[in-house]
Amino acid sequence: MRRLRSKPRSRASPGRRTRFTSRVLDWLRLRTRTWARRRHGVDPDPIVLSGRRIYIVPSRLGLTYALMLFAMFMGAMNYANNLALGLTFLLGSLGLVAMHYCQRNLAGVRVASAACEPVFAGQQASFRIALENAAPLPRHELTIGNDHGSAAPVGVAAASRSVLEIKMPAPRRGYLTLDQFEILTRYPFGMFRAWAHLNLQVRCIVYPKPSDSRIPPPPLETDTGGPQDHARGDEDFAGLRGFHPGDSPRHIAWKAYAREQGLHVKVYAGTAVTSHLFDWNRLEGLDIEERLSQLCRWIEDAHAAGHAFGLRLPNNEVPPNIGPAHRERCLTALALFNLESANPESANPGSANADAAPASRKSA
Amino acid sequence: MSRSAAPDPTRMQHLLWVIACLAMAAAPHLPGVPLWIILFTASSAAWRLTVESLRWRLPPTWLRSLIAISAMLGVFVTYRTLNGLEAGSAFLVVMGGMKLLETHSRRDLTVVLFVACFLLFATFLYNQSLLRLPYMLGSVWLFALTLLRIHQREPMPVREALRGTGRMLMQAIPVAVLLFLFFPRLPGQFWAMPARSKATSGLSGDMSPGDVSELSLSDEIAFRVKFTDGPPRPEQRYWRGPVLHDFDGVTWRMAKVGYLERGVTALGPSYEYRIVLQPHQRNWVFALDAVTRWPSTTRRNFDYQLLANEPIATLSSFKLTSSPVYRVDGDLPRALELTTLRLPPQRNSRSLALARQLRAASGSDVDFIRAVLAKFRNEKYYYTLEPPRLQLDSVDDFMFNTRRGFCEHFASAFTVLARAAGIPARVVTGYQGGEINPMTGYIVVRQSDAHAWSEVWLPPQGWVRVDPTAAVAPERVERGRQGTLIDNEPATRRLFGELHALLQLRRTWDAVNTFWNDQVVSFSQAQQQSILERLGLQDTDWRALGIALILSLAGFFTALSLWLAWRFRPHNDDAVARAYQRLCRKLARRDLERAAHEGPNDYLQRVAAQQPQLGAAVGEIRELYIGLRYGPNPQNTQLRRLKIAVRQLRV
Repeated sequence: MRRLRSKPRSRASPGRRTRFTSRVLDWLRLRTRTWARRRHGVDPDPIVLSGRRIYIVPSRLGLTYALMLFAMFMGAMNYANNLALGLTFLLGSLGLVAMHYCQRNLAGVRVASAACEPVFAGQQASFRIALENAAPLPRHELTIGNDHGSAAPVGVAAASRSVLEIKMPAPRRGYLTLDQFEILTRYPFGMFRAWAHLNLQVRCIVYPKPSDSRIPPPPLETDTGGPQDHARGDEDFAGLRGFHPGDSPRHIAWKAYAREQGLHVKVYAGTAVTSHLFDWNRLEGLDIEERLSQLCRWIEDAHAAGHAFGLRLPNNEVPPNIGPAHRERCLTALALFNLESANPESANPGSANADAAPASRKSA
Repeated sequence: MSRSAAPDPTRMQHLLWVIACLAMAAAPHLPGVPLWIILFTASSAAWRLTVESLRWRLPPTWLRSLIAISAMLGVFVTYRTLNGLEAGSAFLVVMGGMKLLETHSRRDLTVVLFVACFLLFATFLYNQSLLRLPYMLGSVWLFALTLLRIHQREPMPVREALRGTGRMLMQAIPVAVLLFLFFPRLPGQFWAMPARSKATSGLSGDMSPGDVSELSLSDEIAFRVKFTDGPPRPEQRYWRGPVLHDFDGVTWRMAKVGYLERGVTALGPSYEYRIVLQPHQRNWVFALDAVTRWPSTTRRNFDYQLLANEPIATLSSFKLTSSPVYRVDGDLPRALELTTLRLPPQRNSRSLALARQLRAASGSDVDFIRAVLAKFRNEKYYYTLEPPRLQLDSVDDFMFNTRRGFCEHFASAFTVLARAAGIPARVVTGYQGGEINPMTGYIVVRQSDAHAWSEVWLPPQGWVRVDPTAAVAPERVERGRQGTLIDNEPATRRLFGELHALLQLRRTWDAVNTFWNDQVVSFSQAQQQSILERLGLQDTDWRALGIALILSLAGFFTALSLWLAWRFRPHNDDAVARAYQRLCRKLARRDLERAAHEGPNDYLQRVAAQQPQLGAAVGEIRELYIGLRYGPNPQNTQLRRLKIAVRQLRV
């Protein structure tokens, strides 16, 4: 049902397995994931992994090891060689003990979502997941992964945390939800793979992809109609720019700071302020996504050039301004255009289909 | 493609660990493996390490295939087979080396590790001595460590890894012991144990007294014997091995054909005993002379040597009965008489002449034998472990020239003389003597007790044992070789006297080994049954055993799981907070739960107001807590007082 599903895992070494076994394994993996998802529903964020969340199976190395032990066992039994039998039993029980260490290495880990930087459509979104270890013992070789790859394994020292990144392609604007990933470990010997399916519903904003077309931006306009004057003055408020050490505290935009938009300084222009006004209605002849894409391109160009700009959408208007917070506000408006009121679940391009919503949610 | 794109510093380490494992597993095989295989694997390892450190390319596939094929051919040519234990382990050693040449992934490294595991496994098929146990534990530890390291991206310090894997190993040992004790055993074999081509006995099946004068002086144990009711006298302890009939002038050999068998009748007491043979790859069972009752897994040869049906490739034990004093029933078969009188023509002519002359001077065969033994005793013949080499006519050279030798020389000379005098005679090899270990009650027979004596056919009794060595060095027979050396060399005796403690140590070590052999190496279904009976489980079948095993393992792993969970429990380092939380829990039990908005001050004041009888205690706790948290100079005594106050609070 999810589009990601049909894609074979890139991690699995290609060519080693036949297509058939690979398909069977993918199918099995999918079934367990669906089942686990139904069983656990959406997880609270953060979540502490309890023992019942953790699944464990022997890895390919573990299966080979078991096969080797079986051969050794047959040999030792046949020759009634007790020392060889003892070796076989010792290696076997070492494997079983390792299985418990593997499971315990994962149990009790606290998983929380960390910040996720917005990306443009077509890029890879990186979700950052924090793994916290409250135990007085270190945990080793923890990693997270999904269909699109996995992070390099890290250790988490006693009473500390590590942040891992997981990638996911962001094909469309809007909210991208990391609706499933797994946290897994193969510690200590790689013979077992312990993992937990997690569904933290971490969201990431995906801006529209900036258009490649060369439609020129609307010309700079002055608010007052007076002559263009770049000289600094203190008459009219012209916008915000990032704070630099040495700026007068009188000019700091405390309101913006209170809105948690960062520390900015109000800029005053002389007699007039020039700015672009990027207007949805000016882009006739293009469909919705193309318009958004074009607006995005203009915003990026204007921001790079340091020009002030305003944005006018059919349901939303952002007055002219400058600065990264302004850019973010405008791009977010574009990203969520016509999606804002919708249910974020169905707006998620990653699980656009109707049956993507978990069938039953368990209360955490 | 074969070149590593990014140099990985940990890869070199991984390689070194894996090579260490391979070396550890292969080391016990080295004495039995041809030199070229050792060199091959060692140079493969060296090549691989050079490739890694200089970041060369790995050898191309065609070269690797060529090397692999030629190495396999080499093994085949060396052993003429790829089957069997020796060829198999040589093949594994070669395989480990070949696999090293193409390791670039973790998977390749684990393949080498698995090869090493099989090599370690194979060492126990050769040898199950007690010392192998610590070697096994050490090797498994190294394997675990290596497996851990090659699966780690962020290598942990070696000491931590050692401790971690050591702990896992310690926890695996009880499980392994449980499995060992209770895993249902099968009574028989599916296929036979392949014998090693190289025999390890002190006896060889033939005897060339004139040859390079080497003698097994090894203190290695050949077998142990436990008598049901006391052992026979030392001079009766002749353990029969191969009987040599054919002499070509240089070498005595076993008869190539069988002869008619004659039974024996015991003339004295019978001894019941159990013999536990160290593996020596031959099917000789060194029974006390002469064996009268034996199990169906063995058979008695026409020359009364006891032979096992299979070569003794593992520690094996047999229950036997023997009578040291016996008489052969019936007469000597004609064919055997001819064989035991035959001498190589035109050899040792002086000895033959001497024999004929002595026979003519003696009244009977018995007198002749006495005369020969008297000659050995009275003339200057010497017992020595380092005799000179003998000329082609070895008996002549020994009798008239060198006059020095050990049991083989005397037995050979005596037999030749007897045959020349017309008395059917043959050489018997085996062991003589043995040392009683008072700690176990076992008689321990070592390789250095190997011996050779003669048998002559004297009509009323049949075959009669004559030990010409006893004529020269009687103490050799009464006290074993150790005794002989002591008496001949005073320095050694003094040394031994001083080293009485050493002897005691040796006996203790032997006792430990006997226990190991009896309880571990030959642990079987029968011992399993007796353990279960001691545990109060009568008439258990393998199903009950399996269920008991699974239950006990489940119990162990539940305990392990709980222990691990306890070790990983979230820990609060803050003792003050812990004490405060304990207080909150206590109060909550009396419906005095702390509201989310209440700080300690508000909360405890409210508690004091609602429960005036707690006021004083809670007030003290409040003071202490605030003092510890916000006071200028928190004291340890305050913390202790806080803990006590919280504990003593009665709600």
